[in-house]
Amino acid sequence: MGLGVYQSLFDVFLLNCGFAFSQFIVLRAGVFSIASAAYAGIGGYATAILVTRYGVSAPVAVAAATALGLIVAGVLSIPLARLRGVYQAIATLAFVEIVVSLGFYAEDLTGGAMGINGIPKLVGTGTLCVALGAVLYLMVAIDRSGLGRAFDTVRQDETVAGSLGISVQRSHAIAFIISGGIGGLFGGLQSLYVYSIEPQQFGFALLVSMLASIVLGGRGTVIGPIIGTAILTALPELARPLAENRPLIHGLLLIVIINYLPHGVADSLALLRRRRRAANAV
Amino acid sequence: MLAQQIMNGLVAGAVYALFALGFTLVFGVHRILNLAHGALLMAGAFIGLYAVLAGIPLWFAIILAMVGAGTLSVLIDVLAFRRLRASGQAEFGAIISSIGANLVLVSIAQRISETKVLRFPFATFPVVFYRFWGLRVSLLQLAIAGSVAFLLGLLSWLIFHTSLGRQVRAVAGNPRAAVLLGVNPDAIYLRTFFLSGAMAGLAGVLVGLSFNSVHFMMGEPYLLRAFVVVILGGLGSIAGAVVAGMGLGVLQTLATAYLPSGLTDTIIFSLLFLVLMVRPNGLFGVANTGVGRR
Repeated sequence: MGLGVYQSLFDVFLLNCGFAFSQFIVLRAGVFSIASAAYAGIGGYATAILVTRYGVSAPVAVAAATALGLIVAGVLSIPLARLRGVYQAIATLAFVEIVVSLGFYAEDLTGGAMGINGIPKLVGTGTLCVALGAVLYLMVAIDRSGLGRAFDTVRQDETVAGSLGISVQRSHAIAFIISGGIGGLFGGLQSLYVYSIEPQQFGFALLVSMLASIVLGGRGTVIGPIIGTAILTALPELARPLAENRPLIHGLLLIVIINYLPHGVADSLALLRRRRRAANAV
Repeated sequence: MLAQQIMNGLVAGAVYALFALGFTLVFGVHRILNLAHGALLMAGAFIGLYAVLAGIPLWFAIILAMVGAGTLSVLIDVLAFRRLRASGQAEFGAIISSIGANLVLVSIAQRISETKVLRFPFATFPVVFYRFWGLRVSLLQLAIAGSVAFLLGLLSWLIFHTSLGRQVRAVAGNPRAAVLLGVNPDAIYLRTFFLSGAMAGLAGVLVGLSFNSVHFMMGEPYLLRAFVVVILGGLGSIAGAVVAGMGLGVLQTLATAYLPSGLTDTIIFSLLFLVLMVRPNGLFGVANTGVGRR
């Protein structure tokens, strides 16, 4: 294995980190949306179509994908504000399936089951690093601002949030819109990285892998999704048997982590450190 | 032609109903979405198929499939859900945990079948057609309709007319109060999971027989359709699942027959989305706990 293999692995890691943050931000605000795969699909197709068919330059196409993700998520947040919990999850799952089925149906636009091929590769490690850096900055900024505290309050107890003057509906809508923007952005970047896209890759499997990296890493801290994605990306490369049984290992990991380490690796470590510090202080 | 399509749709819908019943039963009793339910359908089809290939008669293979899928379902409950239930974080946790269980079962099946599409040997089920009132009905369709009707009857008798059913309903209503009355919720959970898995297993064999194709990914479309059925019928409602399952079968058959191909899924999932917006408790549902705005 040369350096190139590790570099492409690193690129995949960067892309998956972006997707994971799109899922992370809604869960952070207590929204049980799993629509990030759909935003990625919408952004991915928008970019691919703009670049291959209309000759739009890459930055403009990716910006359009991001904007489209923002808008779609913003519109989606309006009806979804009425739902909570599993109902929200099922409604967003339906949305993901609608997007996938439209990808199959609208052949003139999306190429149907064949997808769109021959997309120029205009995105490299540098661009992905910059994009993920921007997302990380946004996440840390939210974490340290009133918006982050508002998200935490809304997630833990909506009634308390209301009594503190935090608008639950507004917080949820903001989380949706950020999630849509990140999903569209990384969907667009992915299109310009992988040469070809097809509807099926934005379905249930992508949704599961996004959720998996967050559950594994942790839902409470910004570092969580990065650690989760790093583990899931690197694990199959460590040994051949691991690579061959990738879904099996993902499945076992999900069951074990959610049962025995429900806060994820990063959050559990943070909790441990905080406890130790508290013990030392006494 | 239309009548024929509707009849085919009803038979397909009966299988949806059978499959979705287990899904809605588990939700009604446990308040958790078991996303491994599709894998149980696939497991039932696999057990049935390999039993038939091993020379076991079909009726016994079906029983093996039901018992096998039921046992797997109980295993999932014990290994993936029991600890979560104690922690009280079951809503999010169970979805993750059951996605994990689904991945495990699907990848084992992929291993066993070497990613191939498997078929039942020719004439595992006698290929016989009847004609009446201008309709063409296969013996298999009749058998499907008959066995689904029998199981639905059995299930509603179990739930509404036996001591077990009263215990199940007590646990579904309030597990703590049920404990005070001397009901052991864990024992009830095991039984509902077994019933749910067994019905999924039967649905799996029936699907495998009617499309003559068994493969490791066959559960996913059924799981996605089960969402539609249980939301249309009202999450946790048995009668709702039956009506919605038949309705979905007819809708899907008609959409496939009369609308441009590829639009069927769009229509089905748009319907799911719409119903969640307008009537989140289902078309026949009554407002109960944990639904909609808190």
